[in-house]
Amino acid sequence: MFSFKLGLKNLTRQKRRNVITILVIAFAFFGYLFMDSVMGGIEEMSFSNIKNYDTGNIQVVHPEYWKDREKLPLENLIYINQDIVDSIKNLDGVLGVSPELRFKANLNNGIDEVSVLGLGISSEQYNEVFATQNYIIEGSMFSTGESKAVIGVKLAELMDLKVNDYITLLVRTKEDTFNTIDVEISGLLNAPNPMINNGVVFVPLDIAQQGLNVGDGVSLLALKTASGDEDKIAKVLMDSFKNKDLDLKAYSWRESAESVIAFSTAKKGGAGTILSVVLLIGMIGIVNNVILSALERTAEIGMMKALGMREWEIVFVFMVEATGIGILGGLAGCLIGFTGVGLMAKYGFVDYSAMGVDISEFGLPIDKIYGTWNYPAFSFLFILSIMVALLSSILPAYWAAHKDPVKAIYHR
Amino acid sequence: MSLLELKGVKKIYQQGKIKVPALRGVDLIVEQGEFSTIFGPSGSGKTTLLNMIGCLDTPTEGEIRLNGNKVSDLSRKALAMTRRFNIGFVFQSYNLIPVLTAYENVEFAIRLIDHTSELKVKERVLKILEEVGLKGLENRRPNELSGGESQRVAIARALVKEPKLVLADEPTANLDSKNAADVVKIMVKMNKELGTTFIFSTHDPMVMEYAHRYINLKDGMISADERRG
Ligand SMILES: Nc1ncnc2c1ncn2[C@@H]1O[C@H](COP(=O)(O)OP(=O)(O)OP(=O)(O)O)[C@@H](O)[C@H]1O
Ligand SMILES: [Mg+2]
Repeated sequence: MFSFKLGLKNLTRQKRRNVITILVIAFAFFGYLFMDSVMGGIEEMSFSNIKNYDTGNIQVVHPEYWKDREKLPLENLIYINQDIVDSIKNLDGVLGVSPELRFKANLNNGIDEVSVLGLGISSEQYNEVFATQNYIIEGSMFSTGESKAVIGVKLAELMDLKVNDYITLLVRTKEDTFNTIDVEISGLLNAPNPMINNGVVFVPLDIAQQGLNVGDGVSLLALKTASGDEDKIAKVLMDSFKNKDLDLKAYSWRESAESVIAFSTAKKGGAGTILSVVLLIGMIGIVNNVILSALERTAEIGMMKALGMREWEIVFVFMVEATGIGILGGLAGCLIGFTGVGLMAKYGFVDYSAMGVDISEFGLPIDKIYGTWNYPAFSFLFILSIMVALLSSILPAYWAAHKDPVKAIYHR
Repeated sequence: MSLLELKGVKKIYQQGKIKVPALRGVDLIVEQGEFSTIFGPSGSGKTTLLNMIGCLDTPTEGEIRLNGNKVSDLSRKALAMTRRFNIGFVFQSYNLIPVLTAYENVEFAIRLIDHTSELKVKERVLKILEEVGLKGLENRRPNELSGGESQRVAIARALVKEPKLVLADEPTANLDSKNAADVVKIMVKMNKELGTTFIFSTHDPMVMEYAHRYINLKDGMISADERRG
């Protein structure tokens, strides 16, 4: 079609302006893809923080405990029966099972007191599920039966504690009487999870059980699975608990991580805002381009009208050109985005430890953050660029085509 | 039936609060195949008259008939269709599309009315370019053509759809005398060969020489109308 060809050829006019518009669109695109990748990276990091240092992939708990879990109750505990643990452990896809007793405690160093989360763990099993022990930077992990504790570096700093110092944990037993657990610090942790560094005291499970007077009770079993398998395995577990008439439920980490989900929601909101800005920039670029072209080609539009071209035919010529700019901008944006995201995914975009900044204070993970690939964002954005170009060129093109032919020809 | 009939055509432009009468009652009959020039001082209404005849604008008062059909009160869309199929235009400043070659600039006009065969279109475009003496320059862009050559492309563009009527508003004003003469000679030749009716305005007495009919405009009215040869 001739008008189509003319529209394409018009792309070669005002090359500089077209290139600028294309670049503006491309960089707006890149900005979006970059942010999307960064946010994806942070999200992924938060997810893995939760999975690897806090909840494990799946938590097995008493349903009543689950409801109150934020309050760290000592009611509705699980009383470990080796058969159950073994049957869970032998399940396909389960890589580790770690019993955990969670409790509220006040940590006392002899002078000051601070409230902390106590975690009674069995160190070997804990190791199968969580990576935390890799981050012991001083001292070592305790073994079962030892009156020892491991705490985070931040907490140690706050309470002015070192390895081999003694601390007292003030707790309330199951019967609501006060008790103390006296332990020696055996190791200091600097894990990528800020919560662990700031406010957790690890003690051996049996020591915690004694101190809290809960017998064999544990708050939950944390399970490690291959990532992605959580929902499937949780369902299998639920079914088997039901069959065995056990009052237990299995929850994937997603369900126990509202804060993360909140971040994901915020991420979507943020992405939406950036997307609107990107689209607005694209729109302004295209509208500006069409208007300037139309002004420069007034006499030409007049000639087209004299030849008897209909308004929509002239609009079509302008729209082909605008859409061409949209497509080129979109392609260029995807290309730069591809490179940028590729680099971020490969080399990471921040390395706070290298920078000597501790961002855990801001609740952010400590490790290097890597960009994530979000392929649908690329195609989505590309299609959007075509739509934006089409839609935003209609009005200015119509304005151009609607000119009175006499005025257009003689520029009056 | 005459090709063109104007009866009491008036055009009054509104400029702010002032009314500017550009045409003050023009009666004119043009027969098929005539080769006429409109001349007169600047501001006498030549361009306005050509625009009315060319269906680019409608008169404030009066009637214009083209091929017996009243065109003076048509809608914009109907006017566009009338121009598309019946009228060719040549402008003082050529108005070629810079990104298209000479061939494509001419092809443009025929594509608007002929969607049939590629071969026929090509044949017609090449033939008309040859007629106006541009054989071999088909693939040049407007910036690679002289003023005279550009205007010949414009004439080819106006003629390629074989309209009954070609209107040219000062087609030679931007050309030197040799090129101006060439361009007018081509119009004369096409008028003879195809029987196309030409009406062109000009200030140039040399160009006027070639016309068969002289229409003199003064203050928006025809003050003289002579035929010769
Ligand atoms: N769009 C317009 N608005 C207001 N007045 C106009 C308009 N177009 C033309 N005129 C006026 O109408 C009169 C006739 O103008 P026109 O352009 O037809 O003259 P012309 O004979 O073609 O002149 P020239 O030889 O300078 O081209 C002039 O007084 C002009 O100022
Ligand atoms: Mg004029």
